[in-house]
Amino acid sequence: MIVGYQPGTGVLHRAHPFTTTTVVGVAMVLTFTLPSPEGTLALVGVYVALAVLAGIPRVLLPAAIIVAPVWLFLVLIHAVIGDDPGRALVFGARITTMVVAFLMLLATIHPGRLVDALVDRGVPFAVGYLLAATLQAVPRLQAQGRAILDAQRCRGLRVRGSLARRVRAIVPLAVPLVLAALAEVDARAFALQSRGPGGRARTAITPPLDTTRDRVVRWGLVVVTLLAIVFRIVG
Amino acid sequence: MSIELEQVSFTYPSGAAPVLRRIGAEFAVGQVTLVTGALGSGCSTLLLTMAGLAPHTTGGLREGRVSVLGHDPATEEGHKALAGRVGVLLPMPWTQLSGMAFTVREEVAFGPANLGWPRARITDAVEAALHLLDVEHLAQRDPRTLSGGELQRVMFAAVVSVQPDVLLLDEPAQELDPLAAREVYALLPALAQRHTVVVATTDLDRAVSVSDRVLVMDRGYLASDGLPSDVLSTLPVVQSGASTTAATIAYRAGCPAPFPVTVDDLAVRYRR
Amino acid sequence: MGINLALGQITAVIHLPIFLDTVGTVLVAGLSGTWVALATGFLSQLVFTVVSGNFTWLWFLPVQLAVAIYAGMSARLGVFRSVPTTLAGGIGLGIVAAVLSWPISFYIFGGVTGGGVSAVITALRGAGVSLGWSVLLGGLVSDVIDKTVTFLLVRTVLTSLPDRMKARFPVVTRALGRA
Repeated sequence: MIVGYQPGTGVLHRAHPFTTTTVVGVAMVLTFTLPSPEGTLALVGVYVALAVLAGIPRVLLPAAIIVAPVWLFLVLIHAVIGDDPGRALVFGARITTMVVAFLMLLATIHPGRLVDALVDRGVPFAVGYLLAATLQAVPRLQAQGRAILDAQRCRGLRVRGSLARRVRAIVPLAVPLVLAALAEVDARAFALQSRGPGGRARTAITPPLDTTRDRVVRWGLVVVTLLAIVFRIVG
Repeated sequence: MSIELEQVSFTYPSGAAPVLRRIGAEFAVGQVTLVTGALGSGCSTLLLTMAGLAPHTTGGLREGRVSVLGHDPATEEGHKALAGRVGVLLPMPWTQLSGMAFTVREEVAFGPANLGWPRARITDAVEAALHLLDVEHLAQRDPRTLSGGELQRVMFAAVVSVQPDVLLLDEPAQELDPLAAREVYALLPALAQRHTVVVATTDLDRAVSVSDRVLVMDRGYLASDGLPSDVLSTLPVVQSGASTTAATIAYRAGCPAPFPVTVDDLAVRYRR
Repeated sequence: MGINLALGQITAVIHLPIFLDTVGTVLVAGLSGTWVALATGFLSQLVFTVVSGNFTWLWFLPVQLAVAIYAGMSARLGVFRSVPTTLAGGIGLGIVAAVLSWPISFYIFGGVTGGGVSAVITALRGAGVSLGWSVLLGGLVSDVIDKTVTFLLVRTVLTSLPDRMKARFPVVTRALGRA
């Protein structure tokens, strides 16, 4: 994972997971509805500032790495070859806002906490669990993939060379990986079956705090976004 | 009797031949029972059947009667009634992680929380389980950063924290170094005073000294059932390789049956 | 579920110049059918997005879901039975995927989605092709290659699965045309 959960005590860390999700979701909508280019560009500034204020400026570097090639091609296509540099600016700003906001979400919400909050609001536990467990399986499967690759290389598998050879090389890697993944899914099902929820409702051990301030911020953001949409349609 | 098995057979959906064949056995509180046998002889499946995971999760066909604390774990009602009363510890402890916990303490609390206990009861049960398995010092760690051995003890604590009546343990010391393995096995007699403890293991050398009874499985059949010193000391069991190292040494050295099962017994025999 | 991603990792190690981000979805379609493939597609697109940290991925979720449906139907029709039918199926999927990604790339990302496709698009644009056509053509080239390789790969994996494994999955024999 490029950006995982980073423990901290910033504004977003203390907020209810739904508040953070709203802050991030609003960015995705506003970036398309605010008047461009001024509003779109200002939004980039707002979210970069928020990342710094929330104590997670570290997400800005991976964000820059992700958006840099996009900016390069945007400028090439729209400004160098085409004749509309403004478009490059707007599209670039939109993608930057989305990437920065999303990385803030990843850095400040532990998947387990989000699932807790969802279950707290009546989402079936199994749905939330499936998401959390899948995310958790990723690093292990990646490690397994590397181990299988190493093992097959030790047995003389050649993974360089022509395209056809590379495609053929995937098979002896993919089959053990698929089999291992299936075995692991079985074992996980056992675990959930034996330790998972019985008939009664689950006790939230540390239920996420939903303060009045959280609710005010959430509703405020929703109203602002709706207004932006209305102005966009009317104006 | 907390567990009763009668004429129990089981066939996996992918397999043509049954993995368990007409097993009959009973298990009660107060005993540590080992289930052993060669790989593929059905030890793990026997535990899964008692837990209801087979056929509930695996699919497949079970025949015969299984009664755990008066319920059939394979039925939907039995499964509900037994939630939290049967604890299962499976090999590959990393696959048993909930993925919902920041810390070991929360991981251990996952089972009790799912049972909807009040918070105070969860806290007490979790602390007791952490203490029992000697993993209190790991309580604040991220479970994903633990070593295999640490994780296996944490998952054992996670099973114990639910305070089940029945403990089904499949190779509970597989990831542990010899010393830690011995420590984990040493916990079993105390646990057996309040729980029905059934352990599937091939690590007889360490497990046998804490056990009261051994079942030997052979290609799906229950080959023998009795006191460790009786069952594991017979010629056919020792010849099949399903006994302890001490018994095998005695057999190779030309001792007559019954063979000594533990190193201590062997030493006594040779001192004479 | 996680298979898509682990395969993505392996692909990265072998340096294939294409994405192959739908191998897991197509494979699951060939093993367990459309519904499971839809779930796999949804989950893996989400996981891709989270793991890469690149939110732009999530916009292509509809494409991933369409791939799941297309692959599920292909498996039912036994498209994986021979190499020529697999090739045809892969090319068809490439066209479907390209046509579906086009509006997303064009309207939301200004035609730039990073990587090799953007280079192709830039080249076309430089040759005087209009932006809309550049994005569509660039997408067609990369998606047709990508999905054809994906289909071939899945066929190879399906045929080389041990029989014991095949017995566990209801769709495999049908996908390989041996029902």
